[in-house]
Amino acid sequence: MAEIRVENAVKTFGKVVAVDDVSLTVEDQEFVVLLGPSGCGKTTLLRAVAGLGIVDSGRIMIGDRDVTYLAPKDRNISMVFQSYAIFPHMRVFDNIAFGLKMKRTPKDEIQRRVQSAAELLHIESFLDRYPSQMSGGQRQRVAVARAIAVPTEVLLMDEPLSNLDALLRLEMRAELKRLLAELKVTTIYVTHDQIEALSMGDRIAVMRDGKILQFDSPTTVYDMPADRFVAGFIGTPPMNFLEGQVRRANGAIEVYIGDYALKPIPEMNETLARYDGQHIVAGIRAENMEALDTPAEDALRVTVLVVEPLGSQNLLTIRIGEDVIKVATHPDFRAAPDQDIWIRFPSSKIRWIDRDTGRALVPDLDKLVS
Amino acid sequence: MNKKKWNLAPYLLILPSFIYLAVFFAWPMVRSLQLAFVRDSQILPVLAEADPDADVVGRLEMQTQVAVVDRTRLDEVLPNGRTRPVYWFKIVGETEGGEQIEGWTHQKNVFIESRTTSETARVTSGEGAKEWTLDYVERMINDYRFTNALKTTLILIVLILPIQFVLAIVMALVLQAQLRGSTIFLYIYAIPLGISDLAAGLVWVSIFTQRGFLNTFLQQIGIINEPFIYLSADHQNWMIVAIVLAEVWRATSIVMVIVVSGLQAIPREYLEAGELFGASLWQRLRHIILPLLKPSLQVALILRTILAFQVFAVVVAITGGRVLTVLAYETYRWYDPGDSGFNNPNMAAAYAGFIMLISLAFAVFYLRTVRTQEEAARE
Amino acid sequence: MTTRTLDPVQRRAIRQRQLRRASVYALAILIALWILLPIWLIGTMAFSTQQDVYGYPKQIAPIPFTTETMEFFVNQEGILEATRNSVLVAVITLVLSTAIAAPAGYAISRYFFAGRDAFRLGILAVRAFPIVILAVPLAVTFIEWGMFDKVYSVALMHTALTLPTTILVVSSVFASIPREFEEAAKVFGCNAYQAFIRVVLPLVIPGIAASAIFTFVMSWNEVFAATLLTIRNRTLPALILYSLNKSSLQFQYAGGFFMLAPSLVFIFVIRRYLFNMWGQITK
Repeated sequence: MAEIRVENAVKTFGKVVAVDDVSLTVEDQEFVVLLGPSGCGKTTLLRAVAGLGIVDSGRIMIGDRDVTYLAPKDRNISMVFQSYAIFPHMRVFDNIAFGLKMKRTPKDEIQRRVQSAAELLHIESFLDRYPSQMSGGQRQRVAVARAIAVPTEVLLMDEPLSNLDALLRLEMRAELKRLLAELKVTTIYVTHDQIEALSMGDRIAVMRDGKILQFDSPTTVYDMPADRFVAGFIGTPPMNFLEGQVRRANGAIEVYIGDYALKPIPEMNETLARYDGQHIVAGIRAENMEALDTPAEDALRVTVLVVEPLGSQNLLTIRIGEDVIKVATHPDFRAAPDQDIWIRFPSSKIRWIDRDTGRALVPDLDKLVS
Repeated sequence: MNKKKWNLAPYLLILPSFIYLAVFFAWPMVRSLQLAFVRDSQILPVLAEADPDADVVGRLEMQTQVAVVDRTRLDEVLPNGRTRPVYWFKIVGETEGGEQIEGWTHQKNVFIESRTTSETARVTSGEGAKEWTLDYVERMINDYRFTNALKTTLILIVLILPIQFVLAIVMALVLQAQLRGSTIFLYIYAIPLGISDLAAGLVWVSIFTQRGFLNTFLQQIGIINEPFIYLSADHQNWMIVAIVLAEVWRATSIVMVIVVSGLQAIPREYLEAGELFGASLWQRLRHIILPLLKPSLQVALILRTILAFQVFAVVVAITGGRVLTVLAYETYRWYDPGDSGFNNPNMAAAYAGFIMLISLAFAVFYLRTVRTQEEAARE
Repeated sequence: MTTRTLDPVQRRAIRQRQLRRASVYALAILIALWILLPIWLIGTMAFSTQQDVYGYPKQIAPIPFTTETMEFFVNQEGILEATRNSVLVAVITLVLSTAIAAPAGYAISRYFFAGRDAFRLGILAVRAFPIVILAVPLAVTFIEWGMFDKVYSVALMHTALTLPTTILVVSSVFASIPREFEEAAKVFGCNAYQAFIRVVLPLVIPGIAASAIFTFVMSWNEVFAATLLTIRNRTLPALILYSLNKSSLQFQYAGGFFMLAPSLVFIFVIRRYLFNMWGQITK
């Protein structure tokens, strides 16, 4: 059992609070991605778990051991570094064997473990080489092999794919995912690439300014972002935001964007009612809107600004009031700049966000239950 | 590079340096070899008759003692038409080969007490002749002070360098630990970079002299009862100790700076990876830091060895140069035209050449032995 | 901050970390003392009375404090003149060395040309060369050229010694300025000369100044060549070395401190550039 529990971790560098009272539990054998822009504290948090930086306060548990103040070597963890940190003066074999040698593992077991780690990463024919004789992708594989060669239940990865070129990154992404599923280790994976996070993680912790904003499965993070930042950070293109005003009309709650009225799902009525007369933000993803080339009763008429054919879809940039949003359409949808089209907003796909706090509004569950 | 357009600019930019080093570096090097290996000697051709155009019957070395067996006075016509009397002497002397030579020579070629009465003379000039010679080198090697100087210099190197390197690595690691105030520590550790060897020597004289700080300290803590004379001919080992301490004190900083630069070039992730995969501090030093520092250490070793062969002012300050001598001091002593010197540039050049040769030998030795495994594997 | 009670394992871990930190600190301070103490001691001598200089046991601080010993030293015959010579030599060396080396350093760092690596390697080799070897033949040559025992001939010699270092330092300073800066300046309308003057020069001046100061220090400290090249026009170290055997302890201590003191300031000024100066020689 190697569940990782971070409790109220705080880490400051001078006046900068890098990790701000973070708590996080990674289940045994789970693959958790720490995602966020640079400087959000994700690497600091990972290093605190690794023991490469001790938290100022708070607690870090691995399994049922408190490792907060233990040296890295006593934590029974393994790690893949961003720039690989493959020792240039050692052959590949010695690099992979490094952790085992430090733990005084018997020779034949070292041989066996290095061999199997190398085979898993298809570098068994390079064991006699020096790192300088290998390509970046191969060195990356050595770094992973070194990490999995040591018997451990926790694997930490600090942006391991960020130094690879796009094509290799795509290939390694899938391979790493397969490998980690096979290994059944608990993994924390740091990245700033949201596609990597969505495609690999069991759960994603989105971080900003030292705090975890949302910690959910990829689909939840994508469909139900907890706040405006998460919504804007995840997805290409990011979620669109439209500003509207809440009005109560004939007992029903409606949100007006200009003259156009959006009808929220009934579950939101109670919550939105509290915003009566106030401004609110509607978030909706590009692919969740329906574009029509003919007028429809519940569709809003807009003017196309830009058309970007992307092959699998056409991406339209349109203006609604003050806001500019992106709409993804079927590649067959014909549109040209300055042309009028009609947009339909499925109310179940709209995420409502408080304009001032940026927090997404949730249905008033208490009311629903009672 | 070669396919590019020929660009003159860089060559113009390096030209001044190139010329300067050619004149003030390369030429002196050639001149040095010349001084050490070429004798600018003169030899006196002895003539059959008292006439400048007469046949040469033999040649005598400078400083040969000769007997004057005959003399004649001639009138020599000067360029302005006047005449003056000059003497020619018939001399008998032995060549270096032991051959007896008898013949005439002009008065300007010999030193003689009285031109009219003296019966002996000494050959003082003749015709110029340049010749290759190993005399200076032989004389140097046979000089007992050469053996002493070489021995002392090597002893100093063997004692100083290991201490220096260990201390420099420790200093560098301490600086790398990023303590609060590490910039102040860096400054303090770097101060000796700006201290001359002469000043350093004098500093340590104040400590090791009889009425100095070391005796004061030892007497105060009760180890000795009366001042001990460290710097005397009877206690050469103490002189060595003082020189070693002064040199370690003065010249470790340069190694430290090189090592720190080397450490800074090691990505922090290497050390973190080492730590993460279970290496202790000592294991990290041995398996990661030192192997990666090898190029820096190699450069520092070469630099320090070459400098150590030139150790000079520290030794002069502490020993006066007479009791314990080193190669550089011998060079100075042979060259020095003053009271204590021999005013012999040729011998000085021979010493200088020897220092260069031995420095070069060590540099090559280091380069060949301290090669990285990687390089070895590539071949 | 949480006020959770720590279990013994953690307390031990924390104490171990603190202990390690403290011992590194202690080591750092110990090494600092090793370097500072001898300087303090000779300073004590330099500012003690004549009785204290000869007295025993020695005091650890100059009490009473007096400039009598320093004055005695400075008033010795030839000291002021030698100091002037030393400064003059060092300034000429600094100017010559920087003026000749700067273009070469720039060329090495900014141009790729045939022979560049050979030139660099040559410079590296020259820099490691023993002064001793050079001083003897140069002295002989200077006698032949009628330049013996002149202040400027010592400066010429010192320039030959410092030139390689200066070239390498200047090239490393230039190399630390990204080429993109110059390119950006050109893109935004500078010609090559303007780009150099407006963008590169302001950035390299501190580094080059540091290198010039270091050149000054090297020349100020050099004793072997200066002793060989001069008889009457001695530089300060040459004069002190020459009079060692016939001088008093007062003279030696005060002289030692007098020579050492400027470096305390100079090294402080250039401390940020030390690695520029020596760091790159491994490459």
